[in-house]
Amino acid sequence: MAHLTEGTLRRMVDDPDARAGDDAAHLEGCSECKGRFENISDDAHSIATLLAVPETRVDVRRAFGHVMSERKSKPAFGLRLPLIGPANRSLKLAFVAAVAAAALVVVAFAANGLFFQPTTVKTVPVTVADMQALSQLANYGTMTWTKEPQLQAATSAADAEALAGMQAPVVSNLPNGVSTNITYGAMTKAEAVFTFSADKARAAAAAQGKPLPALPAGMDGATLTITVGPAIGEIFGELQQPAAGSDTSQITLPQLIVAKSSAPTITSSQLSVKQIEDYVLAQPGISPELKAAVEAIGDPSTTLLIPIPVEYATSKDITVQGAPGVALGDNTGVGSGVIWIKNGVVYVVAGSIKQDDAIAIANNLK
Amino acid sequence: MSTVRSDEEAFEDLFTAEYARVVGIANRVLADPHEAEDVAQEVFIDFHRLHSAKAQYAPAWLHRAAAHASLNRLRGARRRQKREVAQALEEGERTLDPQKQLEVDEDRRQVRAALGRLAPKPAAALALRASGLSYAEVAQALGVGIGQVGTLLRRAETALRKEVTRGTSN
Repeated sequence: MAHLTEGTLRRMVDDPDARAGDDAAHLEGCSECKGRFENISDDAHSIATLLAVPETRVDVRRAFGHVMSERKSKPAFGLRLPLIGPANRSLKLAFVAAVAAAALVVVAFAANGLFFQPTTVKTVPVTVADMQALSQLANYGTMTWTKEPQLQAATSAADAEALAGMQAPVVSNLPNGVSTNITYGAMTKAEAVFTFSADKARAAAAAQGKPLPALPAGMDGATLTITVGPAIGEIFGELQQPAAGSDTSQITLPQLIVAKSSAPTITSSQLSVKQIEDYVLAQPGISPELKAAVEAIGDPSTTLLIPIPVEYATSKDITVQGAPGVALGDNTGVGSGVIWIKNGVVYVVAGSIKQDDAIAIANNLK
Repeated sequence: MSTVRSDEEAFEDLFTAEYARVVGIANRVLADPHEAEDVAQEVFIDFHRLHSAKAQYAPAWLHRAAAHASLNRLRGARRRQKREVAQALEEGERTLDPQKQLEVDEDRRQVRAALGRLAPKPAAALALRASGLSYAEVAQALGVGIGQVGTLLRRAETALRKEVTRGTSN
């Protein structure tokens, strides 16, 4: 019989069930294994001493009362948007990028053929002033959901796949140190309609005390119909959520998020992409860099713009699985991400990992 | 209504049965009873939002979440500052000889720092077993075969010893 493995010997130290049968007989008669067993046993006991802590006494009733009152303040569905704390730059960055992407996509690119369906991604630089200017645009009309998204967290890929109606991505090369504890999230397809209103736009501008660029003819009452999802995602590591009233800056970016979503689409009722683009870029506060970058995009009806906050992040163009993509962040491990579009599906790999690792995961994602 | 009520009851039963153990796991990792209770309560709140207390996997889920959540805290840079403040506050309440207490605290701090540097799975296996979970319970919590638990523990103990030695020689 071959010598016993370290794992078997370790288990024999403190699991009575393991000290029986062939293994126990081998140990009895093998001086080499006996020697190894002694070492392993000594190690186990010294580590147990190192990890010793005084007994804790808990007040279960009181703790239960606390938990019941806390949980009532939490929303009913599984995933919550992480809160943004001042000390969390990487999370803030991701959030800023997401908001800016939504704003740009929604408002800027209802395409020439009045249809926007991106097949590629490109980065554009945005500043805080750009963000403020773009967020104003949300006040120029009314957004209504015609089909609200359903969000759900699940512990198994199968549950999430059933809700989203698409296969969960599979990570085949998880970097060392990333937790294998996975929470799945799924979102159903959703549809929203944004209706421009000349009155609302004027009121918003007046409230800000800023001049409103003249509305193009036909913009009042024009609608944009936006679809997003379905989407499915996986979060590796614990979801760090603050207790009510605690310091929100303690939330950390999950170790790794992998997600895919059908590419968003936008249809426009009566405006051309040129009209909307010109109008967006005429807003007070839009930087010359953003204006130049957007104007340099060849065919905006097929390009998903990824805004890069110039104060915080860097990006580079890469090829992922034969499709064009962008990589954000760096190799410090603070935060990085990869975004690409392939066959009408947008993929995102992001987390508090090195950029090289993010690119490797993206290239091997199944 | 009766289903809702029995769900709530199931959660209360689960809480009563497992709370002390979940705190114990977190305290084993953090060596700080107050913080351990914080972690344990967060774990139960998360569980309650996402799962049914009648689920068979409930205890295993709680044990694993307690180990990972407390290991994550251990790795958080902000924790060190908070802990040092907490230790300073508690200093006055201690009955041990101050010099001796300082040494115990320093040892605990170094061991925890070393634990935070281990790979998540072996570190979790170590914390769970040291908290008194059986081999079968550790295996269930980590989703591995019972035969792998010994290997994970051995790997964790070897790595921890190395890390502690490295920490003290620096």
